[in-house]
Amino acid sequence: MKSIPTWVLRVDGLTRRFGVGCPRCTDSVGPAHERSQCPWCATVHACTAASFTLARGEVLGIVGESGSGKSTLLQMLNLTSPADAGAIWYREPTDPAAPPIDLLRLDRYAMRQFRNDRLGIVHQRPELGLEMRFSVGGNVAEKLLLARWRNVAAIRERAASLMHQTELPVERIDDAPPTFSGGMLQRVQIARALASRPALLLLDEVTSGLDLSVQARVLDLIRRIQWEQQVTMVLVSHDLGVIKQLARRTIVMKHGHIVEAGLTDQILEDPQHPYTQLLVSSAL
Amino acid sequence: MHELHYTYGLIDEDSKREVRRALLKAVALPGHQVPFASRDLPIARGWGTGGLQITLALIAPEDVLKVIDQGDDESVNAVNLRRLIAQTTGVSLTAVTADATVIQTRHRIPEERLRADQILVLQVPMVDPLRWVEPNLERATVMHGEADYGRMWVYMYESVVRAGDLRIATQYPVIVADRYLMDTTPIPRWDVPKLHQADALFLFGAGREKRIYAVPPHTSVAPLEFEDVPFRVEYTPGQRCARCGCGDSFLTSHAVSDADGATRWVTTCSDTSFCAARQAVP
Ligand SMILES: Nc1ncnc2c1ncn2[C@@H]1O[C@H](COP(=O)(O)OP(=O)(O)OP(=O)(O)O)[C@@H](O)[C@H]1O
Ligand SMILES: [Mg+2]
Ligand SMILES: [Zn+2]
Repeated sequence: MKSIPTWVLRVDGLTRRFGVGCPRCTDSVGPAHERSQCPWCATVHACTAASFTLARGEVLGIVGESGSGKSTLLQMLNLTSPADAGAIWYREPTDPAAPPIDLLRLDRYAMRQFRNDRLGIVHQRPELGLEMRFSVGGNVAEKLLLARWRNVAAIRERAASLMHQTELPVERIDDAPPTFSGGMLQRVQIARALASRPALLLLDEVTSGLDLSVQARVLDLIRRIQWEQQVTMVLVSHDLGVIKQLARRTIVMKHGHIVEAGLTDQILEDPQHPYTQLLVSSAL
Repeated sequence: MHELHYTYGLIDEDSKREVRRALLKAVALPGHQVPFASRDLPIARGWGTGGLQITLALIAPEDVLKVIDQGDDESVNAVNLRRLIAQTTGVSLTAVTADATVIQTRHRIPEERLRADQILVLQVPMVDPLRWVEPNLERATVMHGEADYGRMWVYMYESVVRAGDLRIATQYPVIVADRYLMDTTPIPRWDVPKLHQADALFLFGAGREKRIYAVPPHTSVAPLEFEDVPFRVEYTPGQRCARCGCGDSFLTSHAVSDADGATRWVTTCSDTSFCAARQAVP
């Protein structure tokens, strides 16, 4: 008998809309209607009934055009955007015998603790993920302080080592984020996200806006982290090339719906959904 | 029978009841800021009416009241406030800490350890320590609700990195009962350890910001600090009070004029009643 790989995350029917909705919404939005905004009530159905599972150490790619709901889905996983429906079942990777918990049922305090302890995120826009008034080192240190590190020397040592790991100039540890380039800020976000050794790493367009050589180095870095630390990751990108390099499995989103899901290689070789076919052919 | 000019305790019974309800909640959730409908009172704005409203809501005819300002029972503010409370309640007054059942104060906690039958009411001008990192009150409230104190800790970390020390004089932030971040305005660092595992009840009132919070007896109060940069009280080795000779009380310096007209600085205990008691002992 083949053993089923233990999952860490099981997302079930995750839904998020912006607006109150109306009775005509359901028949007016989605991939079949080529839109996610209801023409009658203007509600944006940013993510509708997303379901998938994630095994320990797995990298899941999420690809889709602009506005398809990728960031919305990731923000829900980060417990920063409240879901309107669905569940996010989580199983402690170090303790597979423990019963899974639905993260969305936690109270706000427990959610915050969970995010502090288990999650790391790189936001699409650095200003969402970094406090610009603090130093770069302070931004990395925050994750350590939240994990109850209480020794300034040890915090600085760890922050410096994370900066080194992410190829950031360690001597600039006390400089403010606005003095760093976009690519550097993405790496500051990565350093911050990794600081507390998260069980789940969420990466939103981590390489967009970077020139190709920097992009390659960031991808190398992520691959290395994945290899060395076996971090479970969700990697969002509108770029199939990025997904192809890192993700074993991929889901394709369009107008808030998952239109295709499977092994990345399979999706690239034999895309089923017309939208995926278009995506693949234009990426070649 | 003695006729009082005002309602007992100046404010109406409903308002006092509301303050007491807020106080109960504050005691139940140590360090948590409880909103209350602060009233306007006939005292100067800068003085802060929060503490006064707590005192008036609590004080019973058999209570003995002490009022201090800057550690001093005889400052103009303290005298005015004491007179106002005495006139509207008829309670007896004292300057002796040990004799008081209710002590209203602004800047100091008395040097003597307070007892379980004593209540210290503190005036608070600035309530929320998160104002340093989150000026928006609504967002700060959410941060308290989630115990989201990461940014406050970064603020402390950066203070150490920049200055090599925790450069926070008064308004020192503490974590109460391992849960809520609380400001200790406007007491000096010297007084902060007195809040920890005390026998007395500490009540904090902010009139302008309409908030009440409390540190009940035997509650843990931990200053934000680091293993390698610990919290320290103000202390100058060798310095003593010029009046009573005390070497371990909080000292203040004031200018005095000599007989020949020259001005010089004298350092004395900030707690004048403590100092007087020590001088009285031969
Ligand atoms: N806070 C919000 N309020 C209203 N609408 C929102 C909000 N956030 C997202 N949306 C809408 O939800 C839809 C999905 O947005 P989302 O940011 O998830 O897309 P995306 O796939 O990440 O796009 P991109 O590739 O451009 O980053 C969009 O139509 C967007 O306008
Ligand atoms: Mg996005
Ligand atoms: Zn609608």
